[in-house]
Amino acid sequence: MTTGSLILATIGILFGATGTYLLLPHRLGAAKTRTIYILGAVFASLGLVGFLALLSPPALSPLGDFIAGSFFYVFAGGAIGCGVMTVTSRNPVYSALWFAAVVVSVAGLFLLADAQFLAAGSVIVYAGAIIVTFLFVIMLAQMEGRAVYDRAARSPGRAVFTSFLLLWSLTYCLASVRGKPDGPPPAGELAGPEARLLRGREIAGFYQLAETNEGRKALEHSLRPTSSLYVEADPSKPKPNVAGLGEALYADHLLTVELAGSILFAALVAAVLIANPKRAGVPPTPAAAVEV
Amino acid sequence: MTLWVLIGIVIKILMIVGITQGTVAYLILVERKIAAYAQDRIGPNRCGAQFGLPAALLQPLADGAKMLLKEDVVPKYVTKPLYILAPWIAIVTAMIGFAVVPFGPVGPNQLIDFQIAPNVDMGLLYVLAVGSLAVYGVILAGWASNNKYAFIGGLRSSAQLISYELPLGMSILGMLLLAGSLDMNQVIAWQSQNAWGVLVQPLGFILFFTSAFAETNRLPFDLPESEQELVGGFHTEYSAMKFGMFFLGEYLHIITVSFITVILFWGGWHLPFLGLTPESSGLIDTLLKVGIITGKVFLAILFIMWIRWTLPRFRYDQLMDLAWKSMIPLALINLVATAGIVQLVRTYWN
Repeated sequence: MTTGSLILATIGILFGATGTYLLLPHRLGAAKTRTIYILGAVFASLGLVGFLALLSPPALSPLGDFIAGSFFYVFAGGAIGCGVMTVTSRNPVYSALWFAAVVVSVAGLFLLADAQFLAAGSVIVYAGAIIVTFLFVIMLAQMEGRAVYDRAARSPGRAVFTSFLLLWSLTYCLASVRGKPDGPPPAGELAGPEARLLRGREIAGFYQLAETNEGRKALEHSLRPTSSLYVEADPSKPKPNVAGLGEALYADHLLTVELAGSILFAALVAAVLIANPKRAGVPPTPAAAVEV
Repeated sequence: MTLWVLIGIVIKILMIVGITQGTVAYLILVERKIAAYAQDRIGPNRCGAQFGLPAALLQPLADGAKMLLKEDVVPKYVTKPLYILAPWIAIVTAMIGFAVVPFGPVGPNQLIDFQIAPNVDMGLLYVLAVGSLAVYGVILAGWASNNKYAFIGGLRSSAQLISYELPLGMSILGMLLLAGSLDMNQVIAWQSQNAWGVLVQPLGFILFFTSAFAETNRLPFDLPESEQELVGGFHTEYSAMKFGMFFLGEYLHIITVSFITVILFWGGWHLPFLGLTPESSGLIDTLLKVGIITGKVFLAILFIMWIRWTLPRFRYDQLMDLAWKSMIPLALINLVATAGIVQLVRTYWN
């Protein structure tokens, strides 16, 4: 990505942010004038047009590339379209369903990027469990999605600022990746954002140990860098998807995995604490409450 | 990828869709016959007698025609888009799971790859992912029907399906750990070289098969449609082919689950003393493998239908207790024990 296209993307994002701010509902759920909506729509579409200029159409030949390219546009368009429907639907049930559609489309994108485990994992965890639980709660709690707080934006300015800042930083990160050749980086060299990740070897102080140290040999065996997978893999065999991901998670990013696990464990403890009825001041069972 | 590969895939898809749908039609007849046998009745025996065919062999045609020709009632009070979408979700999620199921031998030196998407690295995860989407059909049917029986059925079912997905996924982990792959062909190959999954993972097999009953909404786990309490459960408001689609989806699910059971725990195409190996590829060997795997699947389906007339339905709290208090801990113990044993064997044996 050149500087010119980065500037184009920045301008597109600025237009998009202005348009979205104007289109967002009022803080208290009151209606805005038609002029403001039209202005917002014009700005938002200008932003979209700016981004369309960065797209490249799928290659028409060979056939496999064409099919993969078309599928990319189907899934990517589906994800964005369903995402828009998620945030604009008035009825929370429909919002949750569109969100499920977003997850399935993104799973399709993962599949195209050869990340099979992520595709299946995101469908199982998000579409199959979390969104179903959302639906469960929405259906029980709110049969009609007409509440005022569903139509009001709490602080539209800050929301627009943070989300579009995030979008801009993603575009900036993409700029450092785009244009580089595909395929694994040379052994020992880490590309782009990957170099900035915290890795198991650095945490364990691998590079501070002397070459002859026994501990260093043990660490070398247990904490292999992910890029070695590409090097070691037999090119005639398919790429190790699941095994590769497992090795990356539990060798390279062990600390990150453990941290995520601890956070989830804390959430679990909190959930048990909240759900436990035997707190002070709360009757232990419904039957006891009737007796009181 | 050439054009011919694509055409081959399309032909495979069409064949599998056709064969499975036809099988479902006859499975319904089999189920009715087994039900009749279990209840000491005769069961359907008329359709086809006019043409000299025994055992009501034309009954599926009559059932299909009835489903298609009945009036398709859409009540006025339903949420129409979701009401129409729900049966489609049920049938599509049941159907696309077959994409990675091997119906016979698969490999570079075989005559044909008996699998729509051969050698997918995450075959089993894909089946679990697609299966986890099936809950949408039930929960949307329940909600869109705008009917209290359907709604309660939908809610019960969503809670049940989410709960039993956990033991379902965890029970197969032990087997995957032993085989070292999520690819179903590799799992079969491992079993043909070592031992059937049911012998090395008996606890995993029992947990998997029990959760599979719950995932397919079969008795004794058919609370989403328990007739005595909820009329018809989530499909109370559905008639004609829309109801038929739920039915079809349920039976397709049974076929998928039976395939996974056979592939993971009953050795796939392997039978002892026949000398079949993952590499054997002659015409007779290929036919034998396809025959063995479908025969085992048929046995599994018969077993599932037999259980229906053996056990009474669970109460709702018993259902939840079974999943969360016994099956998930047992699945965890199974996983940890298997991991420990695998580690010990790998350290001290080789």
